[in-house]
Amino acid sequence: MIALARKTLLHEWRRFLPAVLAVAFSGVLLLMQAALVFGIFGATAVYITASDARVWVGYPGTQSIELGRPIGPQAHTALLMDPGVARVEPFAWVGADWRGPPGTGGLSVFVSGIATRPDGMIFSSVLSASQRALLQEPFAVIVDRADLSKLGVPVGGQALINGDLVRIVGTASGIRALGGVNVVASLDTARQLSIDGGDGADVAYYVATLKPGADPARVAARINARARGYAAWTAPAFARRAVSYWMFQTGAGLGVIFLAVVVFIVGAIITSQTLMGAIAGSVREYATLHALGVGLGSLRRVVLEQAAWIGVSGLIAGGLLSLGLMALAKFEEVPVAMNLPAWIACAWVVMAIALVSGIAAVRVLRRADPALLLR
Amino acid sequence: MSTLIANDLRMGYTSGKLRAEVLRGLSLTVDAGQLTLIAGPSGCGKSTLLSILSGLQRPDKGSVMALSEDLWRSNRRSLDHFRLRHTGFVFQGFNLFPALTALEQVMLPLGYMGVGDRAARERARVALDEVGLTPRAHLLPAELSGGEKQRVAIARALVKHPQLLFADEPTSALDAANGQIVIDTLRRIAHEHGTTVLCVSHDPRLVTHADRVLEMEDGVIWNDRRAEPKSENAS
Repeated sequence: MIALARKTLLHEWRRFLPAVLAVAFSGVLLLMQAALVFGIFGATAVYITASDARVWVGYPGTQSIELGRPIGPQAHTALLMDPGVARVEPFAWVGADWRGPPGTGGLSVFVSGIATRPDGMIFSSVLSASQRALLQEPFAVIVDRADLSKLGVPVGGQALINGDLVRIVGTASGIRALGGVNVVASLDTARQLSIDGGDGADVAYYVATLKPGADPARVAARINARARGYAAWTAPAFARRAVSYWMFQTGAGLGVIFLAVVVFIVGAIITSQTLMGAIAGSVREYATLHALGVGLGSLRRVVLEQAAWIGVSGLIAGGLLSLGLMALAKFEEVPVAMNLPAWIACAWVVMAIALVSGIAAVRVLRRADPALLLR
Repeated sequence: MSTLIANDLRMGYTSGKLRAEVLRGLSLTVDAGQLTLIAGPSGCGKSTLLSILSGLQRPDKGSVMALSEDLWRSNRRSLDHFRLRHTGFVFQGFNLFPALTALEQVMLPLGYMGVGDRAARERARVALDEVGLTPRAHLLPAELSGGEKQRVAIARALVKHPQLLFADEPTSALDAANGQIVIDTLRRIAHEHGTTVLCVSHDPRLVTHADRVLEMEDGVIWNDRRAEPKSENAS
């Protein structure tokens, strides 16, 4: 069988190029908006993604870190008793009010109480051992470098959190939060800063690293099988919960879907118009084939095959362009992040754009009436 | 043997308030193994007649028996099937796919007939050889002359081994030499393969080469001339 669709596409690539570009740019738009949304909302899971804990245990049904509740010490015991767990560490989260120097007003801050030992799990990828050591000083805190101006206090300066005096002992990079400022302190400091005072934080978790070869999903399942008043998640699962909660809580998720629909429609219109033009240009040849007895169904398949090839080419071009843009965005510290399911979803939408365009363009074949060739 | 029998064909077109009768109760029979020419001035209805006889356009009234099959009682799908199995077409415009080589143009219809690649290639080579284009088989239409393109189009029609071959003004876009080659080829196909070759043209060069000339005017055939039997090389 002669590969008419593919050979025509290659030979008349100039004619089909606009369609490929339309598909490619649709793909880029879809991927980039997804990457931006994941990048921005990924900040809601920064506690999880910047830590090397593999299993998180918290209040049952917790959708995002700040929405948890304190849990009892029996969760700690359950983790310690699990054969897959290597080490367990508590993590406290306190929503608090920041008062800087006069004239800067109040700010909402999120205080993370973390273990200060050098191999502490929380924020392991953004805090060095020496920074952790600095936090052992009571009421010492570390903030993101980018948040200093917002807080109105330089390193070494003092401010009030929930009425207690704290001192900024250092800065880190990569702990920015969404909708507030992350402040890192020791577990003791965080508990002191809690409005309840004394023993309780607003939210408490236990996190664990695992022994070599232990499967986080299995450990979480074992903990959950006997859990009462607490629940366990693998780190990626807990991070996903946080991101998707915020995406849909804020309407950003709907925004993504809405824009995806707009991109789909625009992409499909441009692609189908280009395809129609290309088919109209070959309509006499198609009519000849039809005269020779090739059914309209077979001719439609040629058009749909062309659409599919346009989709594949656009997908490859758009994917490469997106990879380049992602690298550029990361270089410029634009918050972008991507995951495989999102890549796959975008790829499906791009192929759908191409195929819907093909289906729309098939109509032009009605003009391939062989009787027209005889006039 | 008559392979095409048309009976009382009527066809008209409406343009605005005007109704033009193109075929007015036309009947004819066409025999196998001959080059039959329908000649006449433009607008006399000869192309319409060809499209009705070949199963491309439905008449207002009348019937066509093609290879003992009542064409216009069939549905669209079986008409497509009939054309795929039994007919070849050569048009005034060559209508070749720009992306395909001469060999691929000729192989193309065979793929849709379910002929395997290897057999299709072999049949296409034979067909191209028959129109004298073997040395040009690897070229794209843009690299072929007008006459060569029309010979590729003939090979594309021929490769199906059709019993009916329809040609619409096959020489009008060609110079004298190429026109002559095309006429000779069509006639040879009729005589050697026993194909029914029905050709529509106002090209006077064709008239002297046809085995039979049907002269048409105002939607009717007013003259039916059969050539004296002559030897193949007499032209």
